[in-house]
Amino acid sequence: MTEPILAVEQVTKRFTRNGKTTEVLDQVSFTVGRGEFVALVGPSGCGKTTLLRIIAGLVSPSSGVVRVNGRIVFGPGPDRAMVFQQDSLFPWRTVLQNVRFGLEVRGVSRRQADEACLRLLERVGLKGFAGYYPHEISGGMRQRVNLARALAVDPEILLMDEPFAALDAQTRELMQMELLRIWSDARKTVIFVTHQIDEACYLADRVLVMASRPGRIVEDIPIRIPRPRPLQVKRTGEFGRYVDHIWSLLEKEVRQAALTLRAED
Amino acid sequence: MAEGTVKAQRSGPVRPWLAGLRPRGRGWRVVLSVVLVAVLWEVSTRTVFTNPLIIVPLSRVAEKTATLATSGTLWRDIYTSLSEFALGFAIAVLVGVTVGTLMAVSDAVHDFLTLWVSALYATPTVAVAPIFIIWFGIGWESKIAVAALLAVFPIIINTEAGIRACDRHWLEVARSFQASGFQTFRMVLVPASLPFIIAGLRLAVGRALVGVVVAEFFGARSGLGLLILSSSQVFDTAALFMAVIILAGFGAVMVSLLGTLERKLAPWRAHGHD
Repeated sequence: MTEPILAVEQVTKRFTRNGKTTEVLDQVSFTVGRGEFVALVGPSGCGKTTLLRIIAGLVSPSSGVVRVNGRIVFGPGPDRAMVFQQDSLFPWRTVLQNVRFGLEVRGVSRRQADEACLRLLERVGLKGFAGYYPHEISGGMRQRVNLARALAVDPEILLMDEPFAALDAQTRELMQMELLRIWSDARKTVIFVTHQIDEACYLADRVLVMASRPGRIVEDIPIRIPRPRPLQVKRTGEFGRYVDHIWSLLEKEVRQAALTLRAED
Repeated sequence: MAEGTVKAQRSGPVRPWLAGLRPRGRGWRVVLSVVLVAVLWEVSTRTVFTNPLIIVPLSRVAEKTATLATSGTLWRDIYTSLSEFALGFAIAVLVGVTVGTLMAVSDAVHDFLTLWVSALYATPTVAVAPIFIIWFGIGWESKIAVAALLAVFPIIINTEAGIRACDRHWLEVARSFQASGFQTFRMVLVPASLPFIIAGLRLAVGRALVGVVVAEFFGARSGLGLLILSSSQVFDTAALFMAVIILAGFGAVMVSLLGTLERKLAPWRAHGHD
């Protein structure tokens, strides 16, 4: 692999609450190559969202560093953009104005920004919805806007925090397919956090399986399913084996967590 | 509380054309209700309640209005009261939004002021009107002071609540796009808290009008409050009702203007309740 676009080096994060310190992440290290689609999957509480927020620069690690293109991350930067969970759109802005937000912050002229954003809306399948407010469109459409808002600032790395978690099963499948289409056009590097194993396997080139207490990566699994991947690959035996394998890793982890809890009580 | 409303609306069908028609399509009911009350008033005062000391027919109020309007004193009274209202309200908005913002962003300011704000909001502050007349005289200054004092607290409280209620997610989005402190304020905090501030302004309209009128009761050279006081002293019921109707009409217009403003500035919230 050529020089990684993203390197997470020995990242540890501790939170102290009521005098009790919890190790949310323990010495997490991995690298991501340019254009790679990496999924972080794990049970709730394994620190996957915290890890994503550290990469985004929204949270600083207790120790260790994150490097983007070799430079240490100290905060949010133009090289990364976050696609948040449901309901992070600004309700007072129309679809177009939401997508434009990042460009407005950067002082891009209104006309130039609108032109670029309208093109983006077309790419994410929202042509004709520029003037709608978020409350007037469906959950799936709102997440397309969310994605477009991140793509608008043309980042090198897209950070996605369970973006489809609140959608119903059918819409989620559709959005997964759409995301792959957009990703193959835009050729961004993607870090995708999810707790859905099949979503991770379907989307990613690599799945990093995380365990909790403390949060760490237990296995780094390359998904060798050729692209483009139609939805039918989810029903192949190969796909099932990936899902089964990851599920067995998580099952062990879930049991362990339950035992730890009991021991603590 | 507001969260629930927003979510409930979101699950509704996408029919923007219907939302656009709704206010117009329902306006006739408001007109009809005004007409009904007017007719009921006129008929009942001509048949049942015929004592002119208690209530007079609406047509008599209209005649009285015409007389006073042509003699010129009515316009002076309206001008006095409304300009006192406008100045008092403007001061309340400036002070209220500033103090409310400070209380929202600084815990120290909040801790110092919160008890006073809620205490003064809950007590009938209009009781200080006589002392304000002593301090500021019977001119417009005392009326403005009382109106501003009454109107400022709902604005402070709603501004603070609005800024504090700003969704953590929205602030995080701003941060992730590297918005500066001022950009976050202008592009996130202000629009997010505007519906709350406008709700505070609606409450403040009524309180400022009460402030002006009551302050005029305690001493004034002109104004609708003085007109009410002097007409009641000479048992001029028609003039009294006229002044009250003018005040009510003005209040209703102000509140509906603020409703329009809210629909413009906060289209995602103004849907249900208008």
